[in-house]
Amino acid sequence: MSKDDNEDEMVGYRQQPGKLPFAKPGSGGKDRFSRPTDQEMIPESQGGELAQPWGSHRHDNLVSGQVIGKATALVDGRWKVTGQAQYGDDIRLPGELIGRIIRSPHHYARVLSVDFSKALEVPGVVAIATGADAENKFGVLPVTKDEHAMAVEKVRHVGDLVACVAAEDEAAAREAERLIEVEYEILDSIHDMRDGLQDSELPIHDRGKYHIGDANIQKRVFQEFGDVDGIEENAIASHKENWLFAGVNHAATEPHAVVANWDPAGRLTLYTPQQVPHYVHRALADVLEIPMHQINVHRTFVGGGFGGKSDPFPHEMCSAILARKSGRPVRITFDREEVYWINRGRHPSRIEMNLHADNQGRICGIETDALIDGGGFASFGHVTTYYNGVLHTAPYEIGAFHYTGARVWTNKPASGAMRGHGAVNSRCAVETGLDDLAEKLSVDPIDLRLANLLPPHSATITGFRVTSIGMRECLERVKKESGWDEKFRKMPLGKGIGIGCGFFISGSGLPIHWDPNKFPHATVHLKIDMDGGVTVHTGAAEIGQGSDTVVAQSVAEVLGLPLDLIRIRSKESDTSPVDLGSYSSRVTFMNANAAISAAMQIRDELLDATAEITGAKREKLVIGDRRIFAKNDPAVGVSYLEALHKAQEDRGALVASGAYRTPPMGRTHKGAAAGLAPAYSFSAYVAEVSVDVETGQTKVEKVWAAHDCGKALNPLAVKGQIIGSCHMGMGQVLSEEMKYGRSGHLMNPDLLDYKIPSVHEMPEVVPIIVESNDPEGPFGAKEAGEGPLLPILPAVCNAVYDAVGVRTAELPITPERLLRLIERKCKAEGVDDPIKLPSPRLEYSELQAVLSNRAEEHAKRDLERRLNDNRQPYHNGALFGLDPTTPPDEVDQKWAVNVIPSEEYLSDPRLAGSAWKHTERRHRGDS
Amino acid sequence: MRMPPFQLHTPTSLDEAISISEELVSENQEFDWVAGGTDLLPNYKWHLNVKPNVISLAKISELTELNETHIGAMVRLHDLVQSSATHPVLAKAADTIASVMVRRSGTVGGNICLDTRCYWFNQTEQWRESIDWCHKCDCGTEADCRVIPNQNTLCVATYQADLAPVLMCLGAVIHLAGSNGIRSMPLSEFFQLDGMTRNVLQPGELVTHLTLPEDVSEWHGDYQKLRQRESWDFPEAGVAAVWKKNGTTKPTELKVATTGLESIPMLHTKEVDSCLNGWSGAESINELAESIRKSVKPVQNTWFSPSYRRKMVKVLTRRACAGLVEGDS
Repeated sequence: MSKDDNEDEMVGYRQQPGKLPFAKPGSGGKDRFSRPTDQEMIPESQGGELAQPWGSHRHDNLVSGQVIGKATALVDGRWKVTGQAQYGDDIRLPGELIGRIIRSPHHYARVLSVDFSKALEVPGVVAIATGADAENKFGVLPVTKDEHAMAVEKVRHVGDLVACVAAEDEAAAREAERLIEVEYEILDSIHDMRDGLQDSELPIHDRGKYHIGDANIQKRVFQEFGDVDGIEENAIASHKENWLFAGVNHAATEPHAVVANWDPAGRLTLYTPQQVPHYVHRALADVLEIPMHQINVHRTFVGGGFGGKSDPFPHEMCSAILARKSGRPVRITFDREEVYWINRGRHPSRIEMNLHADNQGRICGIETDALIDGGGFASFGHVTTYYNGVLHTAPYEIGAFHYTGARVWTNKPASGAMRGHGAVNSRCAVETGLDDLAEKLSVDPIDLRLANLLPPHSATITGFRVTSIGMRECLERVKKESGWDEKFRKMPLGKGIGIGCGFFISGSGLPIHWDPNKFPHATVHLKIDMDGGVTVHTGAAEIGQGSDTVVAQSVAEVLGLPLDLIRIRSKESDTSPVDLGSYSSRVTFMNANAAISAAMQIRDELLDATAEITGAKREKLVIGDRRIFAKNDPAVGVSYLEALHKAQEDRGALVASGAYRTPPMGRTHKGAAAGLAPAYSFSAYVAEVSVDVETGQTKVEKVWAAHDCGKALNPLAVKGQIIGSCHMGMGQVLSEEMKYGRSGHLMNPDLLDYKIPSVHEMPEVVPIIVESNDPEGPFGAKEAGEGPLLPILPAVCNAVYDAVGVRTAELPITPERLLRLIERKCKAEGVDDPIKLPSPRLEYSELQAVLSNRAEEHAKRDLERRLNDNRQPYHNGALFGLDPTTPPDEVDQKWAVNVIPSEEYLSDPRLAGSAWKHTERRHRGDS
Repeated sequence: MRMPPFQLHTPTSLDEAISISEELVSENQEFDWVAGGTDLLPNYKWHLNVKPNVISLAKISELTELNETHIGAMVRLHDLVQSSATHPVLAKAADTIASVMVRRSGTVGGNICLDTRCYWFNQTEQWRESIDWCHKCDCGTEADCRVIPNQNTLCVATYQADLAPVLMCLGAVIHLAGSNGIRSMPLSEFFQLDGMTRNVLQPGELVTHLTLPEDVSEWHGDYQKLRQRESWDFPEAGVAAVWKKNGTTKPTELKVATTGLESIPMLHTKEVDSCLNGWSGAESINELAESIRKSVKPVQNTWFSPSYRRKMVKVLTRRACAGLVEGDS
């Protein structure tokens, strides 16, 4: 823009006659002119041209055609690409000290003494702290607080924290580290998760009267729903597999880093790349014994989280403790190895999966037993134990569901929440099981799925309320675009194609901290002063997923503003309202809803002001790009700034607050809340692979990835999530593994030997967005951050079967594991050379036609249900002839709802189910 | 993660480098040579056998000469890959090393002298403390080998460099220089079967260059590498095979060498000779592959298990020799 242009009168803003001109009142956006409303972005329901095959939405009238649904570069992207984003370790405060952590060299030991007198004498060492400095426990879940800042009595895994030191530089800190003398009494450690189920002389934790026997069982779950007793009688085909899943780590690019600083007023600021700043806030208050208002948690840019930065961490406590002791800022940055020691990655798991199909090709039973290895601490494990079961009760309608789960402590780094939390492994087992069932029934696995889907607006067997479902469309799209019918069971040896589906929560219905009662899940504050810029205060943690952008987009859309007028302040707990953080794929759903509700209040005020200025009827007014005008006569209207300034008369800046809370949902049995969500995402992937039958090496060639995210608020970000999820899931299925050696040590705590797929391994991914228009989601949106990870694992496993005819039950499918299976297959087939193996082929049975017909009928049923607002209730069980309108257990004696195992079950339990053989101490009469 | 402090020496000529080393040796000071640093520096960061002095060869231009028969020790791997003077099998092997960024820095001499690797050794200090150290870096504890316990005379860490097998097959001669003058030997005699000493270099001695025989361009062949990922990963097994053919189906000469399996790379002369004696095309290659599989003894100290690596040696040998019988039927 030239200098002369600057002096032109602002278009769309009239200087009022008789008043002194002051500086131009903000441009109302970088672009000087209002753009005409893009009718292609305005929904049909509002008279626009945007087709709505899934019906209208309650937010349709808020659509101004600005940014929602358009590929939008992330608002913080420029900071990152220009290197100006400040991550944890980039925070440099004057006078900072470097903190280092002294860690246990033993798997399990009592800490008898810590002598740091020599270390304190090292020049440059300023402060040293041990467990004695902070004895209060913390943990992400209030029910399982079992962590200390540093070992108070015992260390529970190699790498567990024992002490910490702050010094002028790293060299001095390291020198001090060497001189700290710790006396240990080494205890017998356990490493195999199965041992955790047994009684132990000295369990890793003592939960007092709530302790389960004398075992290392942290959590156990028993659930039985539906016609469990009828499974055997009804089944004509069954699948059974015992799975072993290796633990995997998030391996975010940025290692954990933290800076703590106490200001002269005695307040603590903690700079940390956190996904869940609010829980750190609470934990700091507990551990440091100071009130929460004395703490400001400053979330820095987060260089990747994926669940690995969602617990309050002991090193965060350490930096605060050291900073308090030394009176100076303390920075602690992890080496990569320390990232593996803090871990919180996906649980190593042993999962027994049983699937049963009846003579109609219905899934008459799912029986799952999941033993998960929690490592040394609880972390999110309580929830993970439930999720391993309840998150595979959909998208299929099932006749019976039996789940036993147990999480045990072992002397390893703690497992926790990782992208796809708790759902990933058991989902892989279900989806490969379905592939095997289809094989046994001689039907197409996609048709088997299409004929067994729950309809939109239904309740699952465990009572989850599911609203929008785009599963059918996902399956149909990938089937068509991958050329499935020409490829499946038709390709030569070594080439294969496979299908996998996913189902995931879009935010968890029950917040982890439910006190105080009815506290909202998300709150957003808006402030608009005379410059017209909107300051958005939100506590949602931007972790690279685009949460700042989606909140900015939501506000911009409702107010008809370009994104440059929106500024997000989401970093500091001092200024942002409490938000529960970036986990369980809750942010878009909850935060954008809160943002919309705040923006709607501002919108109302702008409309009132416009009506007053123009005399037009308020209900006839619409918002376009920085302009509010009468719908039928766009000439009647005012600019955004004009309306804003009118609304600001006598009061100045407009402020508004919006909040979101999930509606009451679900049933009442124990554990009913686990897995409840205001909406669920669905996905279906087809993967095509090549397998080198001589080496066992698998290469994923191409992936067609359809994900139902309700509505892609930012299609660019959704595609990014889908492609990124594929990469992450491919790592788990093909090569990533936390490998423990024979002495129990983690052998590969580095990025050379922890095998994240490189660019060479990454296939072309064709992201396919399905928009099922969720009634409660913001503009119809649901999650896209975690669900897209689930289907890639089984899709690859099933494709490997299609290529070479072997089914793996152990992840990752490293070449050597696959080769072992191929060799076994050769032996079974009497083939001396793997290149002579037969390729799997399929001839349809009569059931195929039954399934195709049912799928067709159900497609009609689903279409009708999604468009008809006066639909009847639909409860899982209708497919089996029960009344869809009532929960089956209320009318059918056979329909079980049990959360406690029977004596009969306990006489012959499955692996994880055997956790129920122990009695809680409070129930066995211990004093 | 920081390296411990060390004194860096940056000579600009070979003579100067040798005199610095001579001085350090006479003062009983320990030191390492550093070329590209892509092996040494990560090890230093992990505090593995760190020395108080490091002599950098980066500024010695006389070590960077590269032509068909002469490869300077300081030739960057990337330049080796790109140069038209490089033998195609050597270029192929070099192109599989690590990643582009590492190849831009890493050198031929550094690759030849790569330290041996082991799961129990290539770890941070804290990690190694938790296993009470190991034989290769015992920190004065006389610790045992963690791979094969109850023996502490030999280190079984694995040699995982890609260039050596190809160069050995091509008949490369390695040239060393030190305060006692220069010497040279066939590359196959350069390595010593021990994960600690690895090669014949004496304190103060360094690799200056390699030479290849005049007829190098008449050799054809292949290099096959086993690894989990097509980037970054060290060879879990590597097989080089080169041959000369004289119009007949039987090669007039054949050489096969392996890497990534034991503490040194190996030239499999005996197995090849017996295979050539009763040559019968593909069948012979199969027998050769089997005899090489039998001759190697990997241990459990890298990503893949020893049994898998041995099996793959057979497959890789067959694949590396596939060009021998192409067109035969």
